[in-house]
Amino acid sequence: MLTPAKGKWTKDEARHLLSRAGFGGSPDEIGRLHAMGREKAVDFLLNPDEPIEAHPKPEWADMKTATASMEEMMRERREMMAETRDLSAEQAEKKRQEMQRKMQQQSRKQGLEAQHWWFNRMLKTKAPLREKMTLFWHDHFATSIQKVGQPVWLVKQNELFRDHAFGNFRELTQKIVRDPAMMLYLDTQRSSKKQPNENFAREIMELFTLGEGNYTEEDVKQAARAFTGYQLKRLNGEVMQSARAWDEGEKTIFGKTGPYNGKDVVNLIFKQDACAKLMVTKLWEFFAYEKPVDSQMDDLATTFRKNDYVLKPVLREIFLSSEFYGEKAIATQIKCPVQYLVQLIKELEMESAPLGFPMMGQTQLGQVLFMPPNVAGWDWGKAWINTNTLLSRYNLAGSLTKGSVGEMMGRGEGKLKKLAERRGKWKGGNGPDFAKIAPDSGRNETKKLVDGLIARFFCVPVPAKARDSFIAYADSKKGVIFTDKELGELCHLMLSTPYYQLC
Amino acid sequence: MPSHVEHALLPVVLKKIKTMKTRRDFIRSAVLGASATWTLPGFIDRTFAELGDEARDRSTQFTTGKDGTILVVLQLAGGNDGLNTLVPFGNDEYYKARPKLAKKESDLIRLGDGIGLNNSMPFLGSLFKEGRLGIVQGVGYPNPNRSHFVSTSIWETADTTNRANTGWLGRYFDNACEGVDPTVGISFNKSTPESFGAMRNPGVSLSSPELYRWIHSGGNQAQAEEFFSELNQPGNDDEDGPTDGGSIDMPAGGKVGGLAGESNLDFLERVALDAQVSSKKILEVAAKHKTNVHYDGTSVARNLNLVSRMIAGGMPTRVYYVSHGGFDTHNGQINSHDRLLGQLDSALKSFFADLKQQGNDKRVTLMTFSEFGRRVSENASAGTDHGKASCMFVAGGGVKGGLYGKYPSLTELSQGDLNHTVDFRSVYADLLGGWLKAPNIGKILGGEYKGIGMT
Repeated sequence: MLTPAKGKWTKDEARHLLSRAGFGGSPDEIGRLHAMGREKAVDFLLNPDEPIEAHPKPEWADMKTATASMEEMMRERREMMAETRDLSAEQAEKKRQEMQRKMQQQSRKQGLEAQHWWFNRMLKTKAPLREKMTLFWHDHFATSIQKVGQPVWLVKQNELFRDHAFGNFRELTQKIVRDPAMMLYLDTQRSSKKQPNENFAREIMELFTLGEGNYTEEDVKQAARAFTGYQLKRLNGEVMQSARAWDEGEKTIFGKTGPYNGKDVVNLIFKQDACAKLMVTKLWEFFAYEKPVDSQMDDLATTFRKNDYVLKPVLREIFLSSEFYGEKAIATQIKCPVQYLVQLIKELEMESAPLGFPMMGQTQLGQVLFMPPNVAGWDWGKAWINTNTLLSRYNLAGSLTKGSVGEMMGRGEGKLKKLAERRGKWKGGNGPDFAKIAPDSGRNETKKLVDGLIARFFCVPVPAKARDSFIAYADSKKGVIFTDKELGELCHLMLSTPYYQLC
Repeated sequence: MPSHVEHALLPVVLKKIKTMKTRRDFIRSAVLGASATWTLPGFIDRTFAELGDEARDRSTQFTTGKDGTILVVLQLAGGNDGLNTLVPFGNDEYYKARPKLAKKESDLIRLGDGIGLNNSMPFLGSLFKEGRLGIVQGVGYPNPNRSHFVSTSIWETADTTNRANTGWLGRYFDNACEGVDPTVGISFNKSTPESFGAMRNPGVSLSSPELYRWIHSGGNQAQAEEFFSELNQPGNDDEDGPTDGGSIDMPAGGKVGGLAGESNLDFLERVALDAQVSSKKILEVAAKHKTNVHYDGTSVARNLNLVSRMIAGGMPTRVYYVSHGGFDTHNGQINSHDRLLGQLDSALKSFFADLKQQGNDKRVTLMTFSEFGRRVSENASAGTDHGKASCMFVAGGGVKGGLYGKYPSLTELSQGDLNHTVDFRSVYADLLGGWLKAPNIGKILGGEYKGIGMT
């Protein structure tokens, strides 16, 4: 077991916990977590009382509605086919393309709504660790809307991740085998006895559970035979294993022989030693820091196996360990784009994101929800940052603090602007609550003002020289009145620093 | 300070560095004390890389300054119809497969036996006749993918399994241009092209110079920028702060984007400085160098104009990337495809005339690519669907003109598509080895590919 953290539970530690086991928060939110004490705070995050249904998904993503709409679409298709029978080939093709365009438009619209829904959930949830784990699973079992096509399957998968946020890793993996989005993404629905597809068999071992070097090519080949015959009913997402397409023969995997199916293979995988360690290491790197101490990962793997692959005890051990609050962990992580955006909005005391801002931000910073680049998920850490994305972070922060998101979108993202205009919410949106960030009365004492903002924005105090720069800048602005405009500019300068990229 | 001066300074600086504990020490004492010139961050990076054992043997290239070779990569996004670009007019199968779309011989610029160029491209036709245009026929890769997304990714990463998280140009920056300036690659695209993905140096991507900068848009801009500049240089940290990593004595083993042993904060400070100086330089060059050559208003022409201004300004950039979109011609192809090719041709004509006027035409080679070609048979709405092999243009200074590869058979098809006769990675190999003189081509391309002898 990892050495538990002892000693005083500080506000900085509470902030650290909320940044890593969530998306950070306003000083009030951090204060509430701090008031609970270390153990209660961790248990609050692991046992959220917010019901999982608290943020209803878009209506079209409800399975019944989706089925009805797919049936309707098929009916329209049939009608179209009947209509085109008397038309020339060219006209018929035109009709066909019209139909296709309509479907694509609907998918695009639904995709945007799904992204919007999840982002807002991260922003507003009272169960931040549940959302952070959902993001973890989304990266781990990476699936992209670009290949899957219909957003409904991504939302369904997203709910699966949320349901298993702290649950059993083996059970989640079993469900992923039969998850429509994953089946479409890794082509398992097309894998048959005649032509077994190795795609899923390889990824499940290499990326999802064991890691390279812990299985052989032959294991992949044999497992691919076991994963044959899964068939997805596109109308309702039901999955069956067809006896005809399934290869019922004997397979030898990890030295064991039997007429295995996909479920058996997953069970065999979870009997391998490498499985627990791969997962705890990945969790540690996600929550604490990269390149962990090997012996500590062995300890965590033991906990994981002892609990039959249930995550909650492992997460609890991580968040209560002294290592998690050590020098290597505090203020050393580069915020991923989604966290950067959510945290920024929270720290600026904004109730919600200006329309279009989350998508613009995700696109510019290189992490679009439901669109990981490939099956290995995103590259984390330093890979988020290059000269272009860093300047974009600075300028996105500027657009929020100065209330010029609309202007920024007008320059860059014509489509989003049009979308926003159509919904009639273009102008204004909402800006930071500056009265809450710094009450008018205290603004002319610039040292105090700057220190308050430092405490709000940075996970550890910035170097003295940077603080001096902030104060000098504030002093240079000090006129008769320090209005929201000047405050916004000061905030923008503070956010336009390397320090703000870390949590 | 032009970058070639660095060579002369190197021994002095190296000596100085060796007496210092950390890179930050060095920056604090030597760089910002003197004049912080814009090529310095990458330069320091390289110098330190050279101190590390793992990097000592690496053959690296210096930035170009005024004389090195330059590659411009031009993406034809959407899947360019190779058959109507480079037309096999001598083949009856072509006319059978495309009753509506086929080009008549009289509508073509004849290049060779039975092969003609779409006559929307008179400039490329004349380049070909002057021996300055190479056309590669039947380019593709094994087990082709018909998805725009996947196939683009394959071309950009040069990895047909679509698993690489770095691009072929990024690996060139990493392996052959170690430690050079961030502007070693510039993409005039809204987002970073996958080909620029790199472990250490992904180049810079910008949609326009005016947006690649810290946008203050508040009161007293000059003053704000001074503060910004100060905050985005290394050296703000307290002497013995807990985050003072980045020592050159730290063990190797860097991650994507960083140097071996570099802490996240050190890394961020380095990128912040790189961003600042490269932004300043690009804005400056863009503002200073105008041309009297006329360019069209199309976005490909505008972006090539920017490239030419960057070259005129003596940027140390080895690779530029621009994109020309709209090639997904599923319907009514005849007009749209010819129009797109015409826009390309006109933009290239301006670009090469501009380079010639600058005296830089011999230094620049331009390559086009597209994620796939189109189906051999036209579809019912006078368009074409996603296909496989297509053609590539390679034009400019370093090219031995002519036709390369073999025109794919129009009868031996795979699922109605052309089979490739040339692997695109052997074209890359030519440009990397023959033109950019990169060492380690095998490492960059993830395998040994024989060039096709066009550079």
